[in-house]
Amino acid sequence: MAKEFKLPDIGEGVAEGEITRWMVEEGQSIKENDLLVEVMTDKVTVEIPSPFTGTVLKRMYPVGAKVNVGSVLIVIGEAGEAPTSPPVVTTAATPQAPAREFKPQAAVGESDDILAPPAVRKRARELGIDLALVKGSGARGRISREDVEGYAKRAPSPTEIVEHRPAGDASASNLPREERVPIRGLRRKIFEHMARSVHTAAHFTYVEETDVTNLVDLREKAKGHAAEEGVKITYLPFILKALLPALKKFPSFNATMDEEKEELVLKRYYNLGIATNTKEGLIVPVVKDVDRKSIFELAREIEELAEKARTGKLTLPEIQGGTFTVTSPGKLGGLLATPIINYPEVAILGVHKIAKRPVVIEDAVEIRHMMNVALSFDHRIIDGYQGAEFTQVLVRYLEHPALLSLV
Amino acid sequence: MAVQTDVLVIGAGPGGYVAAIRLAQLGKKVVIAEKDKLGGECLNYGCIPSKALIDSANLVWKATHAANRGIEVEGLRVDLPRLQAWKEGVVTTLRNGIEKLLSGNGITVLYGPAKFVDPHTVEVATAQGVETVLAGAILLAVGGHPVSLPGFAFDGKLILSTKEVLELRTLPQDLLIIGGGISGLEIGMMYRKLGSRVVFVELLDQLLPGIDPSIVAVITRSLRELGITYHVKSRAKGWTMVGDRAKIEVQTETGEIVSYEADAILVSVGRVPTTREMALEKAGVALDEKGFIRADRQLRTSVPHIYAIGDATGQPYLAHRASKEGLIAAEVIAGGPGSLDYQALPSAIFTDPEIALVGLTETEAKEKGKKVVVGKFPFAANGRALTTGESQGFVRVVAEEGTDRILGVQIVGPEASNLISEAALAIEMGATVEDLALTIHPHPTLPEALAEAAEATKGKAIHILQK
Repeated sequence: MAKEFKLPDIGEGVAEGEITRWMVEEGQSIKENDLLVEVMTDKVTVEIPSPFTGTVLKRMYPVGAKVNVGSVLIVIGEAGEAPTSPPVVTTAATPQAPAREFKPQAAVGESDDILAPPAVRKRARELGIDLALVKGSGARGRISREDVEGYAKRAPSPTEIVEHRPAGDASASNLPREERVPIRGLRRKIFEHMARSVHTAAHFTYVEETDVTNLVDLREKAKGHAAEEGVKITYLPFILKALLPALKKFPSFNATMDEEKEELVLKRYYNLGIATNTKEGLIVPVVKDVDRKSIFELAREIEELAEKARTGKLTLPEIQGGTFTVTSPGKLGGLLATPIINYPEVAILGVHKIAKRPVVIEDAVEIRHMMNVALSFDHRIIDGYQGAEFTQVLVRYLEHPALLSLV
Repeated sequence: MAVQTDVLVIGAGPGGYVAAIRLAQLGKKVVIAEKDKLGGECLNYGCIPSKALIDSANLVWKATHAANRGIEVEGLRVDLPRLQAWKEGVVTTLRNGIEKLLSGNGITVLYGPAKFVDPHTVEVATAQGVETVLAGAILLAVGGHPVSLPGFAFDGKLILSTKEVLELRTLPQDLLIIGGGISGLEIGMMYRKLGSRVVFVELLDQLLPGIDPSIVAVITRSLRELGITYHVKSRAKGWTMVGDRAKIEVQTETGEIVSYEADAILVSVGRVPTTREMALEKAGVALDEKGFIRADRQLRTSVPHIYAIGDATGQPYLAHRASKEGLIAAEVIAGGPGSLDYQALPSAIFTDPEIALVGLTETEAKEKGKKVVVGKFPFAANGRALTTGESQGFVRVVAEEGTDRILGVQIVGPEASNLISEAALAIEMGATVEDLALTIHPHPTLPEALAEAAEATKGKAIHILQK
């Protein structure tokens, strides 16, 4: 008998996912634990394995569909069952299904005012092209099959960002002057997430400069040891460690906001998110229990998480449970930015580029390694003064990394 | 043992059987359930039988009304049972054709009413017992049926639906028709030509509600010429038996009560979807407040693996619309990118003269905020129309001002149903009035009127004076 497999509860607070890739075909034989489908949820892509051995009878949604947790994803029949077989719904009693809400799907590019014959419209549908974007070469802008196919060859995939070429480039003159890029996948998650953060938290950013000359020296010394351990060491594990005293001293920074209950949830564990740039967009894997790990352990873990982020292999637990976030834009760190809080967390630290700058020390100008830090926090919860205090504690440990051995 | 299939199609009307065949062509295993006869309402009780009778009635009428050409017929007699038998033969031929097409495409047909058990399981109560069908996808092509009127419950003898009125074995001397819509008018004009006296009672302020008044005017003139009585803004109050005939009281526009006697009353006041009695709620399919199934442009209902097409999803009730939707639904079910994006849905009405419409009327175009130019050409100026003795009506072309793009064409006149497809193609192709006008139309033919109407938008029609 065939079985229905529903989108499982794949993580705390995840109500829906977007199908990004099917990994099985209808009619394919599969074994238990074979990967069925890739579903994008709250910033991660999850590969969902099959709980059954059998034959895939029916994939219930196309790629791009948003699916609620608990909806039937796929119907799997017994091994050897003909792919044409339908599902047997194994409900003992058949309760009356509530009428589902009717949500018509928007069709792309079907406008009465587009001049294109039926066969051309069909071709555009096959190619997934919005005819409104195609410039017709015929009289009065009439769109031909050649126009559609030509456009298809030039059109970037929806996730690619459109590159604006300078005017005069011969190939650019053929491109439409505007391009509509749907907000999909990870970009949609970031889109929603950032908007919610900015619209909810009262952002306040406090900036300070730190003299990290000692930290630069320490890291130089640690590099050799790290290499022996097979670890590539960056400044980030030091910065995570340096945050601990401040987070411990000011617990409201290591917290999440429960908006519904209007309660701040203070965390007695230190899971620090590290904002990581990937081809698809920004993602924030979480380094768990920073207080229980050595600098080298942290370095190794950061490296692993970053690699997973780049290759899209992060699992949901690896991006959940953060209590505070660090964003380090690296070489492009610039002087200063105003980070957006990784809501429902309460604060985020931005660390900027380390550069040699002339600094006045006891009436003498010295060349020191300087770095700016920018702390954004939710002013609904934390006052500016407290933010400054937090930053000063952090700065003390960044400037005197030897103190970290006391942490 | 349950029947298992990729797709279950419920209803073998012009939507369902067409979808089933296309699904099979696309490699799907298909079961189709039909509670009555293959071909549905259209083939068995609607389009086809009525056209067979209308054509016969026209034959009678032309033969008996050609004295001005020197043709006089004596002893003409209509043997209604034989006419009905011939009509049944036509229907049977077509139905057998569908049966062959379905079996030739490897489609299993189950005869019997279908009922949902759950979203993937449907029971079909066949004569041999209940068959359980388990389907990956389900297409609802269940159609509709005539709605009854309070006080005029269908009894199959005196109070008839459009289905029964097409199966009469004796000609009613007097036929009263409640509802002056499309079916009522087609049937009423037909029976008038076969010899009945016909009276129409329409509740709204014009016959053929919703159709452009300039077109309706041609039809009402024809009704008068045929000697048909009609009342608009009037209501059939009730009826009583007088002998073996019915006496019907009609409250007319002025409020006075007029009574008519009739051998048969046709109630044709609309259709309702056949969505009850199949336990759709067990599938969770959302209906609108009138009981029509809600479907999107890919014909998907609120349940992602269940699709719906045709009359069961609402107006317009057109067989070719159901067929088109069936083809699109089949494509979508098979994983294709199908979507409802036709520009033009033509319709044909088999009154005398015929009416055929596609796209926007002048009024509709203006309501959409478009500036239009209109060209009209009367069949009275078309040579071919005059040679057939049928020169009532006109062709009207509505085009967008500036672009000259054809937005709509209305034809009322001889063979309108056969003339409209050229206009539908023109609209689908985004043609301009010049495209139509510059295309050579053979002489002498009726389609010349379409080219002339296109020219008329520029004041350049040849065979009428436009100054």
